[in-house]
Amino acid sequence: MKIIIGLINGMLTSATPILLAALGGSVTYYAGIFNIAMEGMMLGGAFFAALGSYYFQSWVVGILFAILGALVMALIFILFAVVLKMDEFITGIGLNLLSLGLTTYLVRQIDMPVTEIVPIPRIHIPGLEQVPVVGEILSGHNLVVYLTLLAVIIIHYLVFKTRYGLRLRASGYNRTCLDTSGVSANRIRVSSLLICGVLCGLAGAFLSLGVVEGFTQGMSAGKGWISLAAVILVSGSPVGIAFISLIFGFTDGLGLFLQQDLPPQFTAMVPYIATLVALFVYSMRLKKKFNA
Amino acid sequence: MKRKILINLIGILLAFLIGAIVMLIQGKDPILAYASLFEYSLGKKFVYTLNKSVPLVLTGLSATVAFASGPVNLGQPGQLLIGALFAVIGGLYLKLPPFLMIPALLLLAMIGGALWSGIAALCKHFFRMSEFITTLMLNMIADFLTLWAISYPLFEKDANHPQTPPIATAAWMPEWGNLSSSVLVMVIAFGIIWWVMNRTTAGYEWRISGQNSLFSRLGGVNVSKNYVLVMLLTGALAGLAGGLVLMAGPHRFIKDMGANYAWDGIMIAMVANSGVFLTLIFGLFFAVLQTGATGMQLTALVPRELIQVLQAVIVLIVVAGRGYFETLFARREARRKMKGLAK
Amino acid sequence: MTEMVKIFPPSLVALDHVSVTFREGEIHAIVGENGAGKSTLMKILYGMQPADSGDILLKGKPARFTDPGEAIANGIGMVHQEILLIPEYTIWQNVVLGLEPVKFPNRLDVKKARQQVRAKIDEFHFNLDPDAKVEDISVAARQKVEILKLLFRNVSVLIMDEPTSVLTPQEIPQLFSELKRLRDNGHTILFISHHLDEVLELSDRITVLRKGKFIGTLDAAKATKANLAQMMVGREVIFESLRLPQQPGNLVFEITDLKYTDSDKRLKLSDINLKVHSGEIVGIAGVEGNGQLELVNAIMGLVEPQTGSIRCSDVDITRLPILEKRRKVAFVSQDRANMGACTPAKITENVIMTHHRLGKRFTRAAGTVLDYRQAVAFTGEVRQMFDVQMTNGEAPFKSLSGGNQQKIILGRELLLTAPFILLDQPTRGLDVGSIEYVHRQIIAMRSSMRGMLLISADLEELFRLSDRLLVMHRGRIVADLRTESTNINEIGYLMLEGKAYEA
Repeated sequence: MKIIIGLINGMLTSATPILLAALGGSVTYYAGIFNIAMEGMMLGGAFFAALGSYYFQSWVVGILFAILGALVMALIFILFAVVLKMDEFITGIGLNLLSLGLTTYLVRQIDMPVTEIVPIPRIHIPGLEQVPVVGEILSGHNLVVYLTLLAVIIIHYLVFKTRYGLRLRASGYNRTCLDTSGVSANRIRVSSLLICGVLCGLAGAFLSLGVVEGFTQGMSAGKGWISLAAVILVSGSPVGIAFISLIFGFTDGLGLFLQQDLPPQFTAMVPYIATLVALFVYSMRLKKKFNA
Repeated sequence: MKRKILINLIGILLAFLIGAIVMLIQGKDPILAYASLFEYSLGKKFVYTLNKSVPLVLTGLSATVAFASGPVNLGQPGQLLIGALFAVIGGLYLKLPPFLMIPALLLLAMIGGALWSGIAALCKHFFRMSEFITTLMLNMIADFLTLWAISYPLFEKDANHPQTPPIATAAWMPEWGNLSSSVLVMVIAFGIIWWVMNRTTAGYEWRISGQNSLFSRLGGVNVSKNYVLVMLLTGALAGLAGGLVLMAGPHRFIKDMGANYAWDGIMIAMVANSGVFLTLIFGLFFAVLQTGATGMQLTALVPRELIQVLQAVIVLIVVAGRGYFETLFARREARRKMKGLAK
Repeated sequence: MTEMVKIFPPSLVALDHVSVTFREGEIHAIVGENGAGKSTLMKILYGMQPADSGDILLKGKPARFTDPGEAIANGIGMVHQEILLIPEYTIWQNVVLGLEPVKFPNRLDVKKARQQVRAKIDEFHFNLDPDAKVEDISVAARQKVEILKLLFRNVSVLIMDEPTSVLTPQEIPQLFSELKRLRDNGHTILFISHHLDEVLELSDRITVLRKGKFIGTLDAAKATKANLAQMMVGREVIFESLRLPQQPGNLVFEITDLKYTDSDKRLKLSDINLKVHSGEIVGIAGVEGNGQLELVNAIMGLVEPQTGSIRCSDVDITRLPILEKRRKVAFVSQDRANMGACTPAKITENVIMTHHRLGKRFTRAAGTVLDYRQAVAFTGEVRQMFDVQMTNGEAPFKSLSGGNQQKIILGRELLLTAPFILLDQPTRGLDVGSIEYVHRQIIAMRSSMRGMLLISADLEELFRLSDRLLVMHRGRIVADLRTESTNINEIGYLMLEGKAYEA
């Protein structure tokens, strides 16, 4: 029982940053942007979260800083891809490497002792916590985990039920059509990137103020790319993304669990292998449909 | 042609300007920093710059050939590591005289890289999995796989960090003074790649497929066969880079050895806009920056990591500038034409 | 509008000091050949493209719109040639897009939106279901949705860019009666076309453009087809058939019982049987989207048919690799930019495609090394034989004009000396001069006893060139007629209904 509870909790922790970034990717996916900059936005968010938390001794400021940092990244993406009409793919790669370089540069300049960073608190739900098993699974998670669940619902509502959502998807289907309908597709694209920035910033904050405390170089470690794979696998659907992120999170948790029997390098590979397997299954499904 | 050079130069200058602003904010002297950067890398340490350019140019060529021919091979980091791993295994267990040992290890490195890119190629060929994501995931897997290899089976006894024992000295790349012979290998590889891309039937088909795959398919080009070939070739190039880094440098596989080179290769290919010759130029230029970073740190006390930022800014500004200036020039031409009409 | 100048970079002058006046409540046709500047003029008016100089006066006030949204707000709307709707959305979603009614918090008010759309549909007697998805309705219905979308925005000036080009002959009268009803309601309609019959039937006044210049505006009542045609081309147009009587030779190309179902299990081609003899041009007529694209793809090997066979000079080529097919089949595509050429590559590199594998001349060392000198020489030959206007083969293909691009492609394909030539809308998007040139080349190939399959949306072209006419409807060939024994009305009816007209 303990093992299962541990696995589920590990799953939620691993799934959260992927899920948040993937939700951001989902919004830009619907807007028709080939956005591969989640990795960089997340990394920027992680750095600034640690910075804000350290300087102001407050996790709230940490989160705000993370969001601001990721928004700056999003603005750079907007400057190049939307304003200067540069190739989105190159912009994304460039931004990811800029983020990696900048955070590496800054972290060498600013010494932030781990002990002086204020993490985001865990939320213990009174009452529920006392219930055996259920309480252990549902209560006591990091605040961001709960925010993420909320984000799934909000993004789903936003994309499918609102006026903004109708325009957002229209921008993805046919930009010119949206433009000639009197709505600037570029404005929709910009706003979708900003939403993506906020979500990736939150994901970053969770990395440096939740999973661990403090920033390390390149700590996003491909999570942004995995979230991109998740977005592609379910063609953007927020609920699908939640589901697939949980699967990734589960394999990650499983990896930690397997550490007793396998060298840590192999268990660390698990989420990436899982992504490949997921892509494989997805491709086979497409192929089957094609051949039938 | 002149215009293209001008656009590239303007982009680089703008990027330097941004770097200068960052330095000024931190209270450092940008002029001193840049001067010491170039003095260091183009002056007394020029040989080191050349040595440094080897992995940059080779991974850059790998990315350039891939992008120009269609496949989005972003797997240079992983292919480089596996290439180095193959080379180190050969270096530890093969016993050959130097004139056979070096080619054998280089070949092994290329096979290693091609094997790793080959996995992605097969995934695409048989299962239509996009190489763009598979190569990225394979990068991470290669990272952990090599780390495991040097932590357990190939681990050097009593070492403090994960690393292998040194390879046989017969496999060390010879040096002339400080200049490594790996530079020669790089020049030869560049020559071959240039010739393949510009003079052979295969190179012609690859380039046309890269620009319009449907057209070349209709023209009778075997696009999927070419795809696999390009993936293998570009993997081999990245693997070669890994082998050379190892054989010319630490002569053993140490942790985080190739961490930065390969992504640099992708950046170089992007600024070079899929041009083989420009890849060489930008590869050398990035080597100048990276070597000079040490000089900059010593003299102007600007941390060397700033160069990483500068590189990314150069990529963004040069590529964006290219598109921007081209529309600008086109518009100017239109205006001139209109004046002609008014007369 | 007065004194409009539009220059496309780098060197094409699209409009040269054009001034036109439109009156309220009229149907005003703008005619001209391809490239005369009709669409450009309208796009400037609609704010889709900026003019380089000149002014627009709207009801006496200067107006210049920087985007279509502004134009719509000022009562000017445009229906494009390629229909701009979102196929995945329903009709009501498409119509309200940009003007959606909402409830708190930003929630779409679906009920209200549907009501509003239904009211508009009823007001204008458009026979549409607001909940139907646009991808499921006919092209004519989509056009109606576009008009509805503009009317929903209370537009008073409607610009229609070649609205009939996507319709069958039988669908056109309905559109015309709807447009006339709108005019009688006080709407102004600007109507772009190059079909003179339509223009004379529908419009009140007609403006003629030629090569970016204003030629004149006249009352439709006083215009005749002949004088309009002369204004359009600047000379008398003679429609003479270039086809001389000729006995077809051996069978060169044959399709038997071909069937193709796409990945979504939709039947795209069934029971396709056709024969082409040497020295014969077989035309395929049909409304676009009735299987022509799939037929071309199946012949060329881009898709694999489930059953049936394609034979060319007694060889089954159905499942051969494309390169092997190309020994037998030359192919001129309707899609120059994607299928016919690699536009960013050099002209020379475009000319030698396929030849570089089939002709020993272009390679050395067992086909591995390209002989660039031969490639350049070959480009020179094509340039001379096909009268291509170009500077040199090093220039990118996209620097050529459309007509010259097509000449290069024709040159490449015809010099392959394949016995069978597949022509898929070979004159699409070309100017009249180039069309005539292409037609002459096709006829010359007929004289040299090649077999040709000509797929076209232009009935005039089909009647001018083909010996026999097949009609495709919903993936089937529904008629096989000798050109001499049929007429445009019969073919038009077959295209639409898929069966012969029964009196």
